[in-house]
Amino acid sequence: MLETSLALLLGLALLIAINVPIAVGICAVALAGLYVSRGDLGLFDAALKAYDGATSFPLIAIPLFVLAGALMNTSGISRRLIAFVSALIGFVRGGLAMVNVGVSLFFAEISGSAVADVAAVGSVLIPGMKARRYKATFAAAVTSASASLAIIIPPSIPMILYGAMADTSVVQLFVAGILPGLIGGFSMMALCYWFAVRYDLPREEAFSLPRLWAATRQAGWALLLPVIILGGIFGGIVTATEGAGLAVVAALFIGFVVYRELDFTHFYAALVEGIVQTAVVMLLVATSAVLGLYLTQLELPQSFARAITDLTDNRYAVLALLNAMLLIFGMVLHGAAAIILVVPIVLPLIREVGIDPVHFGIVLTLNLAIGQQTPPVASVLATACSVAKTDIWETTKVNLPFIGVLFAVLMLVTYVPLVPMALVEYFYR
Amino acid sequence: MGWLAYIFGKALELVAVALLLALAGIVVAAVVFRYVLNDSLPWYDEVASVLLAWITYFGAALAALRRAHLGFGALMARLPLSWRAPLFGLAEMVTYAVFIALGWAGWRVLAVMEGMSLESLPAISLQIVQAIVPVGCALFVLAQLLSTPEAWRRMVTGSDAETEEIEAEIAKVEAELAKTAARGDRG
Repeated sequence: MLETSLALLLGLALLIAINVPIAVGICAVALAGLYVSRGDLGLFDAALKAYDGATSFPLIAIPLFVLAGALMNTSGISRRLIAFVSALIGFVRGGLAMVNVGVSLFFAEISGSAVADVAAVGSVLIPGMKARRYKATFAAAVTSASASLAIIIPPSIPMILYGAMADTSVVQLFVAGILPGLIGGFSMMALCYWFAVRYDLPREEAFSLPRLWAATRQAGWALLLPVIILGGIFGGIVTATEGAGLAVVAALFIGFVVYRELDFTHFYAALVEGIVQTAVVMLLVATSAVLGLYLTQLELPQSFARAITDLTDNRYAVLALLNAMLLIFGMVLHGAAAIILVVPIVLPLIREVGIDPVHFGIVLTLNLAIGQQTPPVASVLATACSVAKTDIWETTKVNLPFIGVLFAVLMLVTYVPLVPMALVEYFYR
Repeated sequence: MGWLAYIFGKALELVAVALLLALAGIVVAAVVFRYVLNDSLPWYDEVASVLLAWITYFGAALAALRRAHLGFGALMARLPLSWRAPLFGLAEMVTYAVFIALGWAGWRVLAVMEGMSLESLPAISLQIVQAIVPVGCALFVLAQLLSTPEAWRRMVTGSDAETEEIEAEIAKVEAELAKTAARGDRG
């Protein structure tokens, strides 16, 4: 049993190391294991599972949110949001850095693909910051860290994925992310202010109410619709999936009717973009269902839970262990792949020591946010550095305090469960 | 082989786009039926889930054609070419083996579903719905074959998919910005 599990992990690691796509690697070890233990019947079960795994209802939210995000990316919304946040907080010293944090948090409420979001926000703000004497490495670090924090702010694709894998309410996960997201966002802005005072960074234009009003009217639709859609989801009027469907309609309306910057070519491109992004995640989901079949047969998740609870059944010690493990996974794997590999294995353990799966969901996504900031696999950081034309290691040095903020929020969320859970308890339990 | 890959890609795109539009349409229709017409669509959950599975496998083939599936290329990129080339071949073989085995099994199990149909829509046979697994596997194998020259080029030059994705996204946004700026100058 132990030998089989080790062989399985080693096989998977080797396949990933030679650049077999992770989904294919997962399927390869699962099929090999099922065939060796049960012959053709194992393969037949695998084929049925490969279909079942791809039919999860909550996951329908993923293609719809990704499509809505791709549509908004092409309809000039990032530009208007930047103007709005700039009018709101640009007058503070180091204002442009804070604008960057604020826009990333807002923007993540709309879109799904991390690389596309960072490219959209960064391509406008990073050159702007460089022109205003901000260091390129600092500009890249702020953009990258705040974009990663945004994965705990709804709607978030990793959370939808986790909710489906852990059979947990996506809506409650969304609500649980709000408070930690705000704490993290304000801490990052405070850090920007500290940098601004220390390095004498400039203010933008003085605060003016007419300018704010004009920018608000320009960005109004972009600001209002996420609020209405999320309100509908939180209020229980529509499910997360239906909210995502409405987001698509809203994005089409804003793009074609209100701003008129969307055309048929962009619409088609956004659809194709949505399909590819979705399929990449969903193939992982489907193949991990096949692997799940084999893991259950091996009873690996149960033995993993037993091995840990034999050591300690203290909830906080278990969380510390999980944090260490997740940080390592987050460094070497992309978010979706990490969730898909980790969640089925640790879930029995979470239940056994009495950790709320919603609480753990926020801990998990925050770990992945930190993982996006740490090379070798750090697509968000790599995108920001590529826009700013900076070296990834030089940027990481400046990024350390921001990673520190993410880590502090992780510790707060891990050990003060009330921070993520207070709103959930108040509204849903 | 380039034009064949292009046509195959376009065909996959069109099918998947139609499926995604149908999915979005059904989800929105369900909300409209519930709140505006005070009626419900009993087949909505099941059909939407089926569409998601179909989008998954058509889209997976499209992503394979673009070699966009998530992987870890950093280690391979650091090896000398004399190592990279055979390991690349091995990785390709593993991928073919997985989808041929899964596709074969998916084809064989269809026989078990003889006479079964969707619970909420008895007119639709389960055999047709679940045929997406063998069909999807076949499409994936074809996509993998057709994208081999491009993947080989990447492997030889040592560039990885992620860097190319990032560069493509940035180029896209910068083109948009330039267009907007030009429009602003005129206006």
